[in-house]
Amino acid sequence: MGKIVSIHSFRGGTGKSNTTANLAAQTALVAGKRVGVVDTDIQSPGIHVLFGLDENSMGKTLNDYLYGKCAIREVAYNVGEHADESGGRSQLAGKNLWLIPSSIRGREISRVLREGYDVGRLNEGLQTLISDLELDYLFIDTHPGLNEETLLSIAISDALLIILRPDQQDFQGTAVTVDIARSLDVANLLLMVNKAVPNKYDYVHLKEQIEKAYHAPLTGILPLNFDLADNASKDIFSLAHPDHEWSRELRKVAAAILAVE
Amino acid sequence: MSDEIIRLKKAFMFQGLPEDVLAALAQKVNRRALTQGETLFNTGDEGDALYIIDEGWVKVTRQDEKGDELLLNRCGPGETIGEMSLLDQEPRSANVVALSDAHVMELHRDGFFELLDQRPDVAMGLIRSMSSRLRFSGMYFQKMGEWSRKIAEGDYSFMEQIQPLTGGDSNSDEEKASQMLSAFFLMVKGVKEREESLKRQVETLTLAIDEKKRRQEFEELTQTEFYTKLKIQAHELRQKRLDNKS
Repeated sequence: MGKIVSIHSFRGGTGKSNTTANLAAQTALVAGKRVGVVDTDIQSPGIHVLFGLDENSMGKTLNDYLYGKCAIREVAYNVGEHADESGGRSQLAGKNLWLIPSSIRGREISRVLREGYDVGRLNEGLQTLISDLELDYLFIDTHPGLNEETLLSIAISDALLIILRPDQQDFQGTAVTVDIARSLDVANLLLMVNKAVPNKYDYVHLKEQIEKAYHAPLTGILPLNFDLADNASKDIFSLAHPDHEWSRELRKVAAAILAVE
Repeated sequence: MSDEIIRLKKAFMFQGLPEDVLAALAQKVNRRALTQGETLFNTGDEGDALYIIDEGWVKVTRQDEKGDELLLNRCGPGETIGEMSLLDQEPRSANVVALSDAHVMELHRDGFFELLDQRPDVAMGLIRSMSSRLRFSGMYFQKMGEWSRKIAEGDYSFMEQIQPLTGGDSNSDEEKASQMLSAFFLMVKGVKEREESLKRQVETLTLAIDEKKRRQEFEELTQTEFYTKLKIQAHELRQKRLDNKS
């Protein structure tokens, strides 16, 4: 049975979608696993861009499934079949990696905001995906904060990766998320720091502090990365720049996820 | 040919001297044994003799104000040391300590000047050896200037490129000067690392959690009908997946 790994952060802007896309790519490419990526950030979708999808190339979306217009299997976009010829993504050619994108149409986004959707149906869809595509891992890119969809994603996860920046607000917010995850019996809780300004702080001390406060392993400290923020090619950064410090730390996080029982 | 003459022949300063001159010189030198670590002379000592190294190696050093040693040179068989004090009649300008068990030939002031009077070619040899030593000093200071500038720019990469000496005469002046200076520059690097670690301690980020706020937010989120249902659903789902596995 495949594992569900949710990637979450209490506030936006932590680099969640980029991290999710890179972790999924590493898992499919390096570990050779069958991997799905779901964008449940329905209010502000974004991960599709990193896999080379735009409004024109996007077919059916998670929104269509949630409102009963199609089966979840029809939404899954095979990244390995559509890999670019150059750039980091070209390495994904022939790999078992599927993306379940959210709609980027304004009308469909506002419908979700207005009416909400049946989270039970989301859960069914995810379980179906795992069995139909025989996934080893399903990564969920969640919406920041703790709304109902996010609580559901956390509740059904085998592992939850929480991303935080080294600042006071994220530190506080992560504490609440950790409490929720424990209350929902998530078996594996992992932490990751992103956007750490190199050499600014004593990161050994920071790691000790974080692990002591949350009783969970800090699996990587990823540096603030202007090249990633700039990412003009909209590529999977760790594939395009494998020797970058950010990519090296990301692989540590990927390894920690793969080690989850 | 006596052993003494054969030994004197090896000295760079006496090269080309006829055997009768060497035989006369042999009467004036004393052969001295040094054990490893033994001091031949110290900075400030009165200098009334020069030494020609016959076997083994010595180091030429000075001490800074704190007593740390600065290595100026290493000398081996055939080389002359201590001639400066004889010429300028000033005290010794450096310490000389045996790096290995060694033998030196000691020539006192009177014998030395007598030889210089008789043999202008010995004076030429001496001038040659001092010129070569000056060149080495030039290289030494050039390296020191170059590396100091690099350190000022924060570039320590040259430290990794210093090769250990292979010994003998095959090492160039530049290799020798690099090796001599490396101990000093390693010390500078150590100072830099200590400073950086002190700076890092200043930038320790201390994060605190407001426990009251944490509890409040947790209660707000969990005291809803949705959450209660979700918790039950999640439990059932996990149970189902466990059953599927087994």
